[in-house]
Amino acid sequence: MVTGQGVVTPLGTGVDKFWAALKSGACGIREVQNFDVEDLYITIAGEVPDFDPRERDLSRQLILADKYSQYAGCAAKEAMTQSQLEMPLKDDDSYRAACVIGSGVGGITTLETSYKMLFKENKRATHPLTLLKAIGSSASAHVSIEYGIKGPTFGVVSACSTAAHSIGLVYRMIREGGVDLGLAGASEASLNWGTTRAWQAMRVLSPDGLFPFSKQRNGTVLAEGSGILMLEEYEHAKARGALILAELMGYGTTSDAADMVNPSIEGASTAMQMALDDSGLAASDIDYVNAHGTATAVNDINETRSIKRVFGGHANDLSISSTKSMHGHCLGAGGGIEAVATIKAIGENYVPPTMGLHEPDPECDLDYTPNAGKEREVNYAMSNSFAFGGLNAVLVFGPPPA
Amino acid sequence: MDEVATKIIEILRKNMKDPSKTITLETPLSDLEIESLDLAVIVFDIEDTFGIEIPYNANEEVEAFATVGSVVDRVKSIISESKAPGAAA
Repeated sequence: MVTGQGVVTPLGTGVDKFWAALKSGACGIREVQNFDVEDLYITIAGEVPDFDPRERDLSRQLILADKYSQYAGCAAKEAMTQSQLEMPLKDDDSYRAACVIGSGVGGITTLETSYKMLFKENKRATHPLTLLKAIGSSASAHVSIEYGIKGPTFGVVSACSTAAHSIGLVYRMIREGGVDLGLAGASEASLNWGTTRAWQAMRVLSPDGLFPFSKQRNGTVLAEGSGILMLEEYEHAKARGALILAELMGYGTTSDAADMVNPSIEGASTAMQMALDDSGLAASDIDYVNAHGTATAVNDINETRSIKRVFGGHANDLSISSTKSMHGHCLGAGGGIEAVATIKAIGENYVPPTMGLHEPDPECDLDYTPNAGKEREVNYAMSNSFAFGGLNAVLVFGPPPA
Repeated sequence: MDEVATKIIEILRKNMKDPSKTITLETPLSDLEIESLDLAVIVFDIEDTFGIEIPYNANEEVEAFATVGSVVDRVKSIISESKAPGAAA
């Protein structure tokens, strides 16, 4: 069961703000403000606006941490607060709780800054916290310290599927009976000069914007943020009278084992089918698919074909959207932020739109909810994450049990 | 074949699965079994070799990358543009 959720996104911090922005079709992609783009030709990104850790009531340890840990701390705080669990967890509960918060690349901006000091400015030493800020497990460690979570705590790494893998993993820990509850998701704050350079060299970024499934799409747009869920075993949640937001019903994961950048229909569709099978639902039960929808030439066609393979004729009855058109590609955190969008779609019976979709690619011919969201009964929904390396993770959510 | 073409073919060979294949200016890049990521590496290598910047987006079909000869022409024109007086850096 999902008993809490939290986000930090380019559309704002906090689930209410994020959801209102998605409903209104707002765009969080802007000209980069947080680093110098003078010699780059990619000058746009989905930066988190107005994020001052001091104003977010974070602990002193988190204020000294890398921004990726701060985003995680902020999203976890929202999820934890909403769950109304006692903070910090009591002794009995503390070892029965997990904290799996991954990141695609961890504190890479901390590394960039320290390498610049060493190589360019010839400083003799780096800041003493450099290593602790940079490691990919610092977000999960910080959050476990904040809330006294003493069970399985670590980061998961799978590029753009990181958050979905983390959520799926904690879901399985709960099902196996290893823990009663856990925070799960990911955080990313890799927007800096060096990272943008590296992405730019791959030639997959759009200089204009992120337009999924569109004929005009010309690449993805980097973004940052965090999306974290509080997952809890049903009886545990019921016993303490927790408000259940949604049920996580299924998880499927595969690896294409084929190519670092070209996705396969087989890998993606098998992960979707596994998630469906795991949930016990039929393909025809799904109302909404929150697509991976990165707006690269290859993803959107491959994803469309994969959806058709799994859903057959029902593919035409699905509402699909890529909310990345609004919040950008939040990389490791994407699946967490999009899981929240999927849960809200169920809770509010509302499908958020795919913005910037004026002329669809003829090979992308499903209902992507173009340019305006819509009221629609959403009982069951799927969230897709497909990562570089061919690493796929799919989650299926449903309403709280009656 | 001039120096630019020779160097470009050398770069292509380095990134091909089968470098022993015959390459002429008329050879389509699609015949060289070059995939999108290879092309990004090739473009990087060409930029580095000639000290230029080549606008290229893997999401778009680019005519300049149809054949070996069209790549050579594109590189030559970028080289001459960057040498032109008053050209933007």
